[in-house]
Amino acid sequence: MIDFDRNATAPLRPEALAAMSDALAQPWANPASVHRAGQRARARLEQARRGIAAALDNGDGALVFTSGGTESDALAILGMARGLRAAGRSCGVACSAIEHPAVTESVAMLRREGFTCVALPIDRAGRLQPDAVAAAVAATPALGVVSFTAAHHELGNTVDVAAMTAAIRAAAPTVLIHVDAVQAAGKLPLSRLRWDVDALSISSHKLGGPVGIGALALAQHVPLLPLHGGGAQQRGRRPGTEPLVLAIGFDAAVQAAIVAAPREHAAMRASGQRLRAGLQALGAELVGDAEQHVGNTALVRWPGVDGHTLVIALDLAGFACSTGAACSTGVVEPSRVLRALGYDADAARGAVRLSLGPDHRDEHVDALLEALPPILARVRAATAAGQVAS
Amino acid sequence: MSGGVDSSVAAALLQAQGHEVVGLTMRLYDAGVGHGQRRGGSCCSPAEVDLARDVCAQLGLPHYVVDERERFAQAVIEPFADDYAAGRTPNPCTRCNQHVKFAPLLARVRALGFDALATGHYARNQGGALLRAVDASKDQSYFLFAMGPDALAHTQFPLGTWTKAEVRAHAATLGLPNADAPDSQELCFVPGDDHGEVVAARLQARAQDLAALGPGDVVDVAGTVVGRHDGIHRVTVGQRRGLHLGGGDRRYVLRVIPSSRTIVVGSASEASVSRVRVAELQRLALPDGRHRFDVQLRHRAAATPAWVEVDGALATVELDTPVHGVAPGQAAVFYDGARVRGGGWITA
Repeated sequence: MIDFDRNATAPLRPEALAAMSDALAQPWANPASVHRAGQRARARLEQARRGIAAALDNGDGALVFTSGGTESDALAILGMARGLRAAGRSCGVACSAIEHPAVTESVAMLRREGFTCVALPIDRAGRLQPDAVAAAVAATPALGVVSFTAAHHELGNTVDVAAMTAAIRAAAPTVLIHVDAVQAAGKLPLSRLRWDVDALSISSHKLGGPVGIGALALAQHVPLLPLHGGGAQQRGRRPGTEPLVLAIGFDAAVQAAIVAAPREHAAMRASGQRLRAGLQALGAELVGDAEQHVGNTALVRWPGVDGHTLVIALDLAGFACSTGAACSTGVVEPSRVLRALGYDADAARGAVRLSLGPDHRDEHVDALLEALPPILARVRAATAAGQVAS
Repeated sequence: MSGGVDSSVAAALLQAQGHEVVGLTMRLYDAGVGHGQRRGGSCCSPAEVDLARDVCAQLGLPHYVVDERERFAQAVIEPFADDYAAGRTPNPCTRCNQHVKFAPLLARVRALGFDALATGHYARNQGGALLRAVDASKDQSYFLFAMGPDALAHTQFPLGTWTKAEVRAHAATLGLPNADAPDSQELCFVPGDDHGEVVAARLQARAQDLAALGPGDVVDVAGTVVGRHDGIHRVTVGQRRGLHLGGGDRRYVLRVIPSSRTIVVGSASEASVSRVRVAELQRLALPDGRHRFDVQLRHRAAATPAWVEVDGALATVELDTPVHGVAPGQAAVFYDGARVRGGGWITA
């Protein structure tokens, strides 16, 4: 099995495994406990927190551990909007229709709660243009939160975050800016300060840490209400006993990813380029921004080919990929992202997402490109027979 | 694989015979397609999808869910509502087998590079001849007559020679989690067996006027009003219970007249027919001409000896003995001994 689904999850880095194996063998107390054993746990937790915060260039901001990318996004969107409302400030929310469901569904919850929610404009390639975004932000005085993605989970599109932030700040100086950096972390250099964002989400397992933990980096001044009640852990921003061993593994993975990032990203870009060129040679339409992209992700569609059937056929042939964001029920809806880009429902069922990791080599890409033609022909024939929705 | 014991054991049997087996589960509808909350599980509800996944994980088979909700809605649920609104009694299982379960799945099977489709139906495929199952009490050949010869040529029914008891025992031996799961009785997309609610919900979703369905009169064959009904879509030709006509002789629904929202009832003898017209004929091995067949007119009903005159897409059935409860919209299936030669949809 060759894994072309690295945007779904990445293998555990050996550094994270070693750090966690070590930590698991030790009798940690609760980091919130008063006694000295608790103090030791707390000290280790804060060490991990500082390590990750430094990697994100978080300055004097807070770093909140969460259960993962989804919770980090939800905490940012819901927590900031509700916090602004509680403070009597403008609290409307703006994001594009192609954000990760962790963002769009949180915004949908806010809409049901009566918050003003507006869509940021995107073009047919899924690009957010700073002037168009600034115009949309300026046109909505009730806005309190703007959210966008640094590297898109399906398209691979990247945004020049600093330029986008500058445009938004010029249009609305008091608005809070959240950036979803879940797919960017470990691939692009991150800096909350240089990017000038108020909140930044990352997930541990996407960059080779353990599943079950993520982080939200926050500027000091951000009003944030927690998603649930509980104890005073993490200054009340995220009640609940902190998962110390996961935090240790997360930190180890982040440090390893930073050290390795330039080399890994160069490798990913190279094999990603080979993959994109090869897929196009096989008649694929590459969806998304052809210039500004993260390098490891290719969202492709072949007209007349059902994407879900293709994913199954590729799996049975030894290649793991996906039709987009992983879906727990196994049922694949037409890609929300493609629909938002203007594709009709049938076309939006045709897309397949291939995503690479740093360990992919040319021969892995070539094996896929070699296996594809007969599989494509079979799936296309079935689709053409009118039997499989295309 | 529906998540039920039959398709699970079918998969296990093929695997044990050395075949490369992949489990496919069709997601056919969303909960609440008819009304609010589902009561209990039925075939292909999300809980059943999970069960199919569990079974495949236990057997070590890959498992995939394919989304056929749109096709199922178009080919099965909407015509189901149309039929009841037009006074017919639909046969959604056969429609599903005709339009959803076989040809589209077979196309996927070929797209995945496989040779054949297998299901947990109780029926036999003997070299392209569709036969009744060995377990007569579970035989499902009646629902399969419309699957078409092409689909039949590439379909296997591993349970055709098994009894249900043997299947359950085998499932228990394999330790499958659904070995004791109750048989599904109701239609998968009709919660609580209340088809009237589903029909009303679908028609309302299409902004159709439910007042066209009732209330209306219940009359006898002489035209005398003997009661009232609250919707023609709630009754089925041949139905006896639930008519609320008070005491007296047993009365059956003879006809439903949508144009006047009228339900005609009558005695058992009035409800019996000996001549049945059949349309949209599906042939498996059925030349034109006059044939001596056993004709089955309902699921679980005994087949009745008859002369069948086949002419193109139409057939006329002359039953040796009159049968009651022959409902337009149901299937008439022609058996030559155990073999299904074809069938069609009862029009009158």
